[in-house]
Amino acid sequence: MNTPSFTMLDFWPVIPAGILVLAAIVLMLSEVFLTPQASRAYQSILSVIACGLAGLVGLSNMADAPRAVLQGYAVMDPFSSFLTVVVCAGTALAALLAAGFLQHRNAERGEFYALMLFAAAGMILLGLSAEFITLFVNLEVLSVATYALTAWLRRGSRPSEAGFKYFILGAFAAALMLYGAALLYGATGTTRITEMAGPLTQAVKTQPGLVYAGFLLVAAGFAFKVAAVPFHMWTPDVYEGAPTPVTALMSAGVKAAAFVALVRVFVGLSPAVDPQLPFIAFSTLAVLTMVLGNLLALPQRNVKRMLAYSSIAHAGYLMLGVAALFARGGDTSAGVLSSTPLVAISSQMQNDVFKGILFYLLGYTVTAIGAFGTIVALERREDETKGNAWDLDRFAGLASRKPGWALAMTVFMLSLGGVPPTVGFLGKVLLFRAAVDAGLLGLAVVGMLASAAGVYYYLRVVVYMYMRPAPEGALVPERRWTTEVALVASAVATVWFGVLPGPITALLQRSDLLFTR
Amino acid sequence: MPFQAIPTPHYLMLAAALFCIGMLGVLVRRNALVVFMCIELMLNAANLTFLAFARDRGDVTGHISAFFIIAVAAAEAAVGLAIVIAVFRSRGTVNIEEIQTMKH
Repeated sequence: MNTPSFTMLDFWPVIPAGILVLAAIVLMLSEVFLTPQASRAYQSILSVIACGLAGLVGLSNMADAPRAVLQGYAVMDPFSSFLTVVVCAGTALAALLAAGFLQHRNAERGEFYALMLFAAAGMILLGLSAEFITLFVNLEVLSVATYALTAWLRRGSRPSEAGFKYFILGAFAAALMLYGAALLYGATGTTRITEMAGPLTQAVKTQPGLVYAGFLLVAAGFAFKVAAVPFHMWTPDVYEGAPTPVTALMSAGVKAAAFVALVRVFVGLSPAVDPQLPFIAFSTLAVLTMVLGNLLALPQRNVKRMLAYSSIAHAGYLMLGVAALFARGGDTSAGVLSSTPLVAISSQMQNDVFKGILFYLLGYTVTAIGAFGTIVALERREDETKGNAWDLDRFAGLASRKPGWALAMTVFMLSLGGVPPTVGFLGKVLLFRAAVDAGLLGLAVVGMLASAAGVYYYLRVVVYMYMRPAPEGALVPERRWTTEVALVASAVATVWFGVLPGPITALLQRSDLLFTR
Repeated sequence: MPFQAIPTPHYLMLAAALFCIGMLGVLVRRNALVVFMCIELMLNAANLTFLAFARDRGDVTGHISAFFIIAVAAAEAAVGLAIVIAVFRSRGTVNIEEIQTMKH
């Protein structure tokens, strides 16, 4: 019998996920010994500590050389290690927000944090996966945990409705992807992405239908997960109905992990096919997502729903980066959807795109979680069934009552809109510059116009906070130190990374961000 | 030869048919439980495809994949049914058309 031999080097990349799973088990087991009235303040702190430790391991993994681990079922490269850091930061912030949120609803239980940490472990492992079954299992680990989190609150009909919609469409997407993976397995005889490209080149000549159907289904599955138009229908309802800290985790972590896996799969497999096909597919998705995401957000008066549409728009900007990976470099005369045969861009340009995507993911994570955090403080349990808990009027006159909160929200809105000096602006600069360098001038212009339209609805929140008088009996934000720590941390990160991005860009200044065979 | 083996394309056609029935069901049917069953059908179509190809190639990867998929589908079913029960408790119906309270 040939037993595979593993060394410690194989296990380093999965240690962050291991830490999170361990902490989740501790949280679940300790819950057994608590009475319903017992204080559960330690739970969010423990989650934050676990995320911090896992993030530090991820950060130290950044320095390692990219390599395939665990017999090629996973890879360890700076791309996935940086995702580990982003996911851990996002989960820690969301756990801090959850403490206050759940306590006010009398729903704070260890299982909530355990599910959050399981989801985070799934995200980290999804970023590492280099084999279709591993990818599917990890995708389900993160999805099943998020379905349960979405339906966590059992008061009112919204959470269960949101959980149900998320479950049906998430499972549908997973099934599409799995069937696509099965077809690709049939065409190549392997499920490992690093080994697939070779046999795929042969199979595309003999069985093109099988290969292209497989590609299409896998791409559709991913498009559901990252909420790209036209696969976005579930997003607004799910984001609105889910508990706000969970929405924050979904908009940041789930999306980041899905994008990393998407890039890994398609960069690994597309050399076998004409690069023009993935380019057309992803650039079409990018245009639709950027434009429609922003247009649909324009009329929203419900701030939580507006942020849901805005997260769709941000997925569009990231999709622009993904499209740039398959573009022909340097030729700016190519139109929005060029019909000339394309060749892959140089590895230097590709690396710039990877850098842009990663920086953007980090920037979006800290900003979006901060924005949802402000909503956590302003919403009230009683109003959730009435549906006005997230109305724009909640923000009226906030600046005169609570200037600190208003300032934090302004920072987040400016960052989402891409106004300097915030991390959102810098992320857009890096991403759009990489896209223009790759020859996607038309797409980048569409993206910039769409994000200019987006500034309208972000600034409307700021206008309400600073220029509208506070209504009678206006609510003050619920104060809790964990919420405040999370908001201050994300606001400081938003401005700091926007002004001094040096440490982050130095971390990403490498020529081997993504492991390729 | 004791029996005539069924050729692989037949299995693949069956799997494709199951997948299409499942997909159509998710898009058309209105009962949450039926939709849920259709998703299981799609997962099993993928399973059958993996197995058919694995048998055709004499490769074990596909067989192992099927086990993983069955396990994951079971976990998903547990959470999914719990959510369907939560929906039924809060509304008294599992008709998808009536699960539309959030405004667009």
